Amino acid sequence: MSAVWTEYILPCVCSFVACLGFTLVFNIHGVGKLICGVGGALGWLVYLLAGSTILAAFLASAAIGVYSEMMARLRRCPVTGYLLVALLPLVPGGGIYYAMSYCVAGDIQRFLDTLLHTFGMAAALAVGAMMTASLFRAAYPYLRRSK
Amino acid sequence: MDYDKLLNVSVELGCRLMSSGAEIYRVEESVRRLLQAYGLESPEVFAIPNCVIVSIATPEGHPITRMRRIAGHGTNIELLEQCNGLCRRLCAERLPVDEAQELLLALAEHTPQYENRKVLLGYGIAPAFFSPLFGGGVEDALAALIGGLAVGFCLLYGGRLIGTNSFFRTAICSAVASLLSLLLVRLGLGQSVDTVSISVLMVLVPGVALTNAMREIMAGDIISGLSRAADSILTAAAIAIGAAIGLAIGGIF
Repeated sequence: MSAVWTEYILPCVCSFVACLGFTLVFNIHGVGKLICGVGGALGWLVYLLAGSTILAAFLASAAIGVYSEMMARLRRCPVTGYLLVALLPLVPGGGIYYAMSYCVAGDIQRFLDTLLHTFGMAAALAVGAMMTASLFRAAYPYLRRSK
Repeated sequence: MDYDKLLNVSVELGCRLMSSGAEIYRVEESVRRLLQAYGLESPEVFAIPNCVIVSIATPEGHPITRMRRIAGHGTNIELLEQCNGLCRRLCAERLPVDEAQELLLALAEHTPQYENRKVLLGYGIAPAFFSPLFGGGVEDALAALIGGLAVGFCLLYGGRLIGTNSFFRTAICSAVASLLSLLLVRLGLGQSVDTVSISVLMVLVPGVALTNAMREIMAGDIISGLSRAADSILTAAAIAIGAAIGLAIGGIF
């Protein structure tokens, strides 16, 4: 039980609060703050459950994509805000930093490895969220009709 | 109807949307819908991240065009939602153009905006809670909080000192972040320089530019998408250079 707590629940709570911090920076008010926070926690949970790989980042951003499209439809608001904030914890800041430090240290092999991994993460995030958004947009009229 | 005024209102709306962080297709679509709602047959709208061009032909066949250059970009979601709501309302109710203009001009004043200290708090909270995600403990979180507050302070109040060039600004902030993390860890607050620096650097990371770039490309606005993608890569490079400089300065002491 305590393993579940430290490995999954605590990181998600942290992700939630960090996203709340970003809502202050991007001037998001009201319920939008909660939506962004939950989006961030959801994304991080999927990322952890799927094993913290590039594929996991893809799945996480796909989940965030569906979630924010749904929330944007519910609240009749632009989807941008929810998507931006919820994706932020997944952006490979660590990759940029480690690539830089290997580059400065002259360790070309690890520099290139990290750089490619960072690009992979960024691409996975971007493609994941956008593909689900496009699919959602295509499928939404049918979903609505069947209700 | 006064088409000159209508054109001004629509360009102003497009400009507001763009500078609060809307995607290209949203700007183009909103302005086009607005003009169509006011009875114009085929308004033409073209937008790239720092420019909006709107061209209409009045029913008498007289063409009018207006271009508006957009200087600063930011992300202000509340203003974006308000602009979007106003656009929908104007399309549905077709208020008189003068009234629409007044509503649009009043929009910026009525939009709630967090005070600077709350924004600063946001810059502090985010890194503090990012550090556990990168394997940091309580001390690392405290160090990241201080670093985040410092970076937020530079971004909010240091505008005059470090200029408005966003890459230079990012590099400076990133140098401050890594230097401060190094110093804090040397002083005994925090375990790992890497974890603290990464947590603080997360507030500078080009997540917004990256997400927007992909949204533009998916929507078919290749030019804007590429320019935003270039923006995110350059920002990432600026972060790396800044962090390297910060660590190098810290290494001297």
